[in-house]
Amino acid sequence: MNHMWKFSVRRMLIIIPQLLLLSLLVFLMAQAMPGDALTGQINPDLDPQEMQEQREELGLNDPWHIKYADWITSAVRGDLGQSFQFKMPASELIWNRMVNSFWLGVATLIITYLLAIPLGITSGRFNDSLLDSSITGYTYIGFATPIFIFALVMLWIFGYQLGWFPTSGSVAPGSDPGTFEYIVSKINHLLLPAISLGLITTVNTVQYLRSEIIDTKQKDFIITARAKGASESRVYNRHIFRNSLLPIAAFFGFEITGLIGGTVFVERIFGYPGMGDLFIQSVLLRDYTVVTSVVLLFGLASILGALISDIILSLVDPRIRIK
Amino acid sequence: MRRSLLTKGLFALFLMLLLTLAACSGGSDDSESDSSDSGEGTDEEQEGGEAEASEDKLYSIEDFSPSASNEGEPIDGGSITYGLVSDTSFEGTLNWNFYDGDPDSQVLKWFDEGLLTYDENYTMTNDGAATYEVSDDNRTFTFTIKDGVNWHDGEPVTAEDWAFAHEVIGHPDYEGPRYSASFQNIEGMDAYHNGEADSISGIEVVDEKTLKVTYKKATPSLLTGGVWIYPMAKHIFGDMKVSEMVESDAVRKNPIGFGPYKVESIVPGESVVLKKNEDYWRGEPRLDEVVIKVINPNTVVQALESGKVDLVSSFPTDQYPDNADLSNVEYLGKIDLAYTYIGFKLGTWDKENKEIKPDPDAKMANKNLRQAMWHAVDNKSVGEKFYNGLRWNATTLIPPSHPAYHDEDNPGREYDPEKAKQLLDEAGYVDTNDDGIREDPDGEELTINFASMSGGDVAEPIANYYIQAWEQVGLNVELLNGRLLEFNTFYDKVGQSGNDDPKVDIYQGAWSVGYDVDPTGLYGREALFNFSRYGSEENDELLAEGVSEKAFDQEVRQEVYNEWQELMVDEVPVFPTLYRSLIVPVNNRIVNYDLYADDMSTGDTYLYELGVTQEEPVTAE
Repeated sequence: MNHMWKFSVRRMLIIIPQLLLLSLLVFLMAQAMPGDALTGQINPDLDPQEMQEQREELGLNDPWHIKYADWITSAVRGDLGQSFQFKMPASELIWNRMVNSFWLGVATLIITYLLAIPLGITSGRFNDSLLDSSITGYTYIGFATPIFIFALVMLWIFGYQLGWFPTSGSVAPGSDPGTFEYIVSKINHLLLPAISLGLITTVNTVQYLRSEIIDTKQKDFIITARAKGASESRVYNRHIFRNSLLPIAAFFGFEITGLIGGTVFVERIFGYPGMGDLFIQSVLLRDYTVVTSVVLLFGLASILGALISDIILSLVDPRIRIK
Repeated sequence: MRRSLLTKGLFALFLMLLLTLAACSGGSDDSESDSSDSGEGTDEEQEGGEAEASEDKLYSIEDFSPSASNEGEPIDGGSITYGLVSDTSFEGTLNWNFYDGDPDSQVLKWFDEGLLTYDENYTMTNDGAATYEVSDDNRTFTFTIKDGVNWHDGEPVTAEDWAFAHEVIGHPDYEGPRYSASFQNIEGMDAYHNGEADSISGIEVVDEKTLKVTYKKATPSLLTGGVWIYPMAKHIFGDMKVSEMVESDAVRKNPIGFGPYKVESIVPGESVVLKKNEDYWRGEPRLDEVVIKVINPNTVVQALESGKVDLVSSFPTDQYPDNADLSNVEYLGKIDLAYTYIGFKLGTWDKENKEIKPDPDAKMANKNLRQAMWHAVDNKSVGEKFYNGLRWNATTLIPPSHPAYHDEDNPGREYDPEKAKQLLDEAGYVDTNDDGIREDPDGEELTINFASMSGGDVAEPIANYYIQAWEQVGLNVELLNGRLLEFNTFYDKVGQSGNDDPKVDIYQGAWSVGYDVDPTGLYGREALFNFSRYGSEENDELLAEGVSEKAFDQEVRQEVYNEWQELMVDEVPVFPTLYRSLIVPVNNRIVNYDLYADDMSTGDTYLYELGVTQEEPVTAE
């Protein structure tokens, strides 16, 4: 266990420079976007003089390193600045959205694994059969289908044509928070986006599990188990499945990173007010404080995802720890 | 082996699919550019043939009514869903004195309103919750709030509330976008805004219901949007610091107004439920409930078709031709307060003196050249080919959305390439080296750089069309940087912060126009947004006359603006290309709805009268 601790602490220390570099990149890229929060306001009713004063007040005219220093020091203290567009603290705004995105992420992950495990096992166990080919066929289509088109099609079929799911928002208008109806409505609203996203993101895991199983199948210890007379189902359920699943668990962290990219599109299409939706909206409106905060949090999630993966991997496979 | 065969087969299949898709899109692209080629083509006859051959239908805004047709009797009560069509969710700044984005205003209009309303010429009327009287010198306005106008919590709306709104917006700590030139026109506002005075000397609360406001300068603009008409509940905001108001629950969570509906609950950024305000001053609203939901522009058609929304805040006009025969909705339309235009750079911005600095040696300074470029383009065809007639040839810089001031008799400059060539010949723009392209009067090669914005499917073909049309008369026009520019970059280069990019010679932009027709904010000498940087004494005089005291007489004002429109047609610092229509679908069960119902008293329809003929929305068959 001692090694384990050492590894984890060392691994966590690496995060600090990673985060600093990330924050600097995020900040510089946001600065490079043409325009600022006030440029969209091309309106003769607004006094250009007044706008200059606002720019000055908002610190939009300061050189970048001063802006960065200001931003990073307050960010460390948990103050992400004021959203120009929403006229409220960015952290409060993001917190509201993060809750929605979190539940969407959880639902998507559940669906991803619910699909991936049976499909991957079937595909790996009966590889080169027609069943396997259909499953691989599905994964190829999944790889090739852009999520934003797929989500639109899903919305059209299940939301509008069949009317099985609500088509936008995260909760029915007017429901009282805390009531049972409220929770049901929340779940109902995130099902379709989660399924759409899950159906696409699962293909990675299916493929991975499949090749993992095919690989394990040919390992010596499986042949030994078979030779010892273990039943086919025991071989698969006990030996192969367990061994193949470990690396999948390790990739759980990366799965989170992948999700972020997907949620940006899905939230947009389903009008689901999460972080991804907020991100695009803030980019469009040049709401810098929000853009930088959201990207920073996305980056943070990726870094943490990688951390989780590494720690799980090190638990599973001691060879990694020793290095 | 079987597997790899199958995979290969699948792969081949996908490749084929991909290729077919590519071929399809390639095909349609071709046909599009074909039609635009012939659109710019020479004779009328050929064009007629083309129009017949094409399947695209043409529409005209004249065939649309701004009011719902009111078939059937409304039921008592009912609930409707209003689709707030927006790329961005509403910010939740639910107070007229603080809101910034359009989505918020679409929510606000249901539960709060201005004390005064406007007629079809965007002039103040006495039909709203307050009436007004103007003093003899046209500088002092006396407003009287009608009895029975109460906030949703039962408190009466008072003159004190109205004065309070002025005090908040003029306050040094106020951060919203409302402190504009019309506020600065109130007497004593400067001193108050600078913190030199504790009150605004020009505002006097006469009694509980009467407010007197004195303005520095008498201008007809006061009647067309120059007066602040939104009161602010002092009994709620009175004790707050101005800087804290915008974040307060009274703006975000429990906003109130005195409009026909009351806010029941808000899900931030996505929906609002409103119940009727039985105490509404015009009368009890017919509907029990209005639900506002944000919907993405990409799915608005499906939402309408399935009856998930009854009304929408806006509708992408380019989706109309494909959905013109949706069976469960009725399309209403009106002329939009906007125009698209092409501008010529005639100078730069003088940052020190904060005024335009015309450059007599600018590449586009030759009047004939500018006139010729207008004659060379066929905007009628552009409107028909790219917008199915829902945008159409523009003639002057005051759009027909302002019927009293748009000069219908002014034809602008018609499409006439021969005239264009003649004008260029006269001015000495001739082809001296036989390459088919005209040189400038000094015999130097002439390349004109064209800045145009990206956005929408037709932005690029339209820009290309203009370039080709100019080439037809012998002018070499090139897209700046060889491509379309993103919105922010475009306006940076054109000069929204005064740093005009010298490479830009001409540009294509668009303006939406306010209630007030006064064009000074866009074409005045001190207007930063006068991107063409055009200025002349005649222009200055006409613009000043348009807002002079004399112009309180509408006929005088009309005459002044007719002259100004003519001046612009002659001088061509910019020329308008297209006027626009605004199309909004409503469910068949909706009655008593009018596109002007929000803020106007043109017809006799107000939001509180809105009703439905059946409990459930009509869905498409």
